[in-house]
Amino acid sequence: MIPSLHTAGLYIHLPFCLQKCVYCDFCSYTGLEAHYTAYIKALLAEAETRAEAWSNRSFDTVYIGGGTPTVLPHDLLIELWQGLERRLPIVSREDREITIEANPGTVDTLFLASLHEAGIQRVSIGVQSLNDHELALLGRIHRADQARRAFQMARAAGFENMSLDLMFGLPGQQLEDWQRSLQQALTLAPEHLSLYCLTVEPETPLAAQIASKGMPAPDDDLAAEMYEWAQDLLCAAGYRHYEISNWARLTAEDERPDLMVPALACRHNLKYWRYESYLGLGVAAHSFDGRRRWANLEDVSEYIARCGRNQDTTAFCEELSPEQQLGEAMMLGLRLIAGVSRRDIEARFGVNLMQVYGAEIERLVQQGLLESDAHDRIRLTRRGRLLGNRVFAEFLR
Amino acid sequence: MVAIDMIRQPKIAAEDVRNFCIIAHIDHGKSTLSDRLIEHTETISPRDMAEQVLDRMDLEREKGITIKAKAVRMFYSADDERLYELNLIDTPGHVDFAYEVSHALSACEGAILVVDASQGIEAQTLANLYLAIEHNLDIIPVINKVDLPAARPDEVAEEIEDLLGVDASEILRISAKEGIGTRPVLEAIVGQIRPPQDGADAALRALVFDSHYDLYKGVVAYVRVMEGTIEAERPLRIMSTGQAIEPLEIGVFAPTMRATGALRTGQVGYVATGLKNVRDCRVGDTITTASRPASEPLPGFDPPKSMVFAGLYPIDSEQYADLRDALEKLQLNDASLVFQPESSAALNLGFRCGFLGLLHMEIVQERLEREYGLELLATAPSVEYQVLGRDDVLRIIDSPAELPDPSEIEEIREPWMEISLFAPKEYIGPLMELATSRRGEFRRMHYPDARRVILTFSIPLAEILVDFHDQLKSVSRGFASMDYLFEDYRAGDLVKMDILVNGEAVDALSIIVHRDRAYDKGSALVRRLKEEIPSHMFAIAIQAAIGSRVIARSTVKALRKDVLAKCYGGDVTRKRKLLERQKEGRRRLKRIGDVEIPQEAFMAVLRLDQD
Repeated sequence: MIPSLHTAGLYIHLPFCLQKCVYCDFCSYTGLEAHYTAYIKALLAEAETRAEAWSNRSFDTVYIGGGTPTVLPHDLLIELWQGLERRLPIVSREDREITIEANPGTVDTLFLASLHEAGIQRVSIGVQSLNDHELALLGRIHRADQARRAFQMARAAGFENMSLDLMFGLPGQQLEDWQRSLQQALTLAPEHLSLYCLTVEPETPLAAQIASKGMPAPDDDLAAEMYEWAQDLLCAAGYRHYEISNWARLTAEDERPDLMVPALACRHNLKYWRYESYLGLGVAAHSFDGRRRWANLEDVSEYIARCGRNQDTTAFCEELSPEQQLGEAMMLGLRLIAGVSRRDIEARFGVNLMQVYGAEIERLVQQGLLESDAHDRIRLTRRGRLLGNRVFAEFLR
Repeated sequence: MVAIDMIRQPKIAAEDVRNFCIIAHIDHGKSTLSDRLIEHTETISPRDMAEQVLDRMDLEREKGITIKAKAVRMFYSADDERLYELNLIDTPGHVDFAYEVSHALSACEGAILVVDASQGIEAQTLANLYLAIEHNLDIIPVINKVDLPAARPDEVAEEIEDLLGVDASEILRISAKEGIGTRPVLEAIVGQIRPPQDGADAALRALVFDSHYDLYKGVVAYVRVMEGTIEAERPLRIMSTGQAIEPLEIGVFAPTMRATGALRTGQVGYVATGLKNVRDCRVGDTITTASRPASEPLPGFDPPKSMVFAGLYPIDSEQYADLRDALEKLQLNDASLVFQPESSAALNLGFRCGFLGLLHMEIVQERLEREYGLELLATAPSVEYQVLGRDDVLRIIDSPAELPDPSEIEEIREPWMEISLFAPKEYIGPLMELATSRRGEFRRMHYPDARRVILTFSIPLAEILVDFHDQLKSVSRGFASMDYLFEDYRAGDLVKMDILVNGEAVDALSIIVHRDRAYDKGSALVRRLKEEIPSHMFAIAIQAAIGSRVIARSTVKALRKDVLAKCYGGDVTRKRKLLERQKEGRRRLKRIGDVEIPQEAFMAVLRLDQD
């Protein structure tokens, strides 16, 4: 059951930002510039500590996320990347995907070129919106023209696989505002697009603003319209929808009929949705080895101190029962537009999906949220993509 | 404690016994004054003194009210250097429990009337005061909380003078909280309340004024010995039923039960009867001696009458048997609670319960949930209707579901109450408006003192059941108080209003309303339900209907979007837990057809007038 001599993903968390965005509830900090060097050193120490347990895998995807990884000086980022390559079994250049998140306002061509040269092939740019008013409202540090420029600089620096993040369902955002942002984003011709509906997380400044009526609450019905419209536009523009929030530009390779996801899909994120293993390094990073999931502590100073003493940095760990594993695999797998293969489930978990979840699947099909083809796959319907939580919950006990 | 008590068992003559109760409005300081008296007489050492000794149930402490009458015996060395036995009998302050007040009063010769120095006298206090005067008790008025900044003791003293004809300057002014004036109160008790009549030689007559059930001692009857003596080893008999009692234990409340072996004329205490059912020894019964029975029982009490009825249903239908057991156990100590099995198409199996009033209902529900770990859903409260059929048969119904088809009904009669609203006179306008908007008919108005007015109306009980008290407080800035009494049954133009959810009638949401109020109530109810019922995968029509005629409707729009956009950095655990929580929340909803209805929706009818 535990994949051995198998590939795994590697996630690196760099929890630093110049400014917190109003909607953000993940682990990132401002004003810790003095800790950058020590943090990278600590992170490499953690890589070394964890390396042995992962020695029977090789990493074929790496995702450097945050936070804002690009607030770090480029030489520190390169030191990090080279340090990881030395300590962990990362596969050779032609077989791997290395992504870094970059935020407009923190990069220039030279900076990006040095990352590309160091071997990072893919960049994901946190554009979020191409409307200055919306960017200000979200608490982003950049303006729309900086976002366009950042994208062009990355192209100029040699990146051939680039992704853009955009957000919709913002407070006060109208359908036309969203249409304009997305159409302008398409003029940049990215290889990949992630479109995220804004989630108002509790205890964020945004939640407080909405609670105090300082900002209108997002309108779910309107967000649904925006999503529907985006699906149609991107399909017409030559993008393939492959996960609830993700699209990839079609290429010649995608002519092959057996491909369940487009060639330009984010291979690292696919590991999450396919319930494959990943190792996360850095504060608050999550890892999964096929059976257990654990997370690191969140405090930067504490993390640096423990790594310095070669102590464990795990703050949370859970052992997943076979039943939970199956439920999670369904919850994640159904996020893919191609859905879940019954054969794959049987091969991996040794159970017949219809025997375990027959009643649930039948009900969801009746409700028009799921569809299943006669022989193998079950997937969300177009309507089900907007009501995914109702579907996923049925597979959890 | 036991050792001290053994020493302190002086034999006290009936002329040195004083039996009294305290009459006060909620929060005016009855429990605090009781505590001070208990402390001052060293009935409990200060070390063991928990605040508000008399209010034993958690709920009573939280709500600041006394639900069941209880008693405590104290010894007091008075300024005249004699030792007195004082028996304080606690009384409930809320109108729902008025019948228990008269039990307590029957066991006393005197009453302390506690009045808050800033609030003045309130309607219920007045009602209890009149009851006490009817029982011919000696009244000691006391003004409490004189230390507070808002206190206006002189005005309140004048109100009391107007009311009782006592000299305002002689009224005691105390602060029970600060312990100011406790001893003068004790002196007043021994000086102004008459001792019980001495009837030591007569045949035993002991009045049962309360009871509780004890697992080991059976029914424990709280008694006041009016004549004769109760002695150990002497068989007793209940006069109304002839039920024989071999007392297991005889004693006093000090304030916990303390065996003394005997109770003499004038004393207050308990008899552990060993009986297994509270109904075998009812409050109001007279206990006598089997060998030398009295010829006449003491005047008894009318059994309490349920005024409010509601269905109680377990949220988890597997708890039905537990609910039945819990109700049976509660009934052992609360003879006023009645229940019988009921079934609802929407809510499955439950019980139709009768309560003394809304507060009683609330307390029973909370006790069932808290003490028995049940999760309950209560339907809208109803009164008892008399339905005269075309066949000339009079049927009593207490649930809208039992109402026959309109074609079979000659007339429906509902209970009307006489309600007294007591408030400063500047609120006459709003109080009039409130009462008449609820079909109240004005009767009379009088001024007990220069500042305040008592407005009396005749009003259907159904109109004051829900939310009336809150509205009363809100239109009078908290100054008004109320009291009510059953008047009679009267015919009215009443109809049953059904609520349909996607075309399906939900029996638990039906209510009986006056035709003139049906449209307003129906619109408010469907509007409220629209807020309470979450979006589903399909649109939900909510309709209010009388017979087949729909009088109001609203729609819950279909849910379009419920999906998490992103799963950050592989934090699958958080996402899974979020979905599990959402799912668990939905599991607690009641399913009507395909529609899941939260329990709040079933209570929506309670808050219709708050919009």
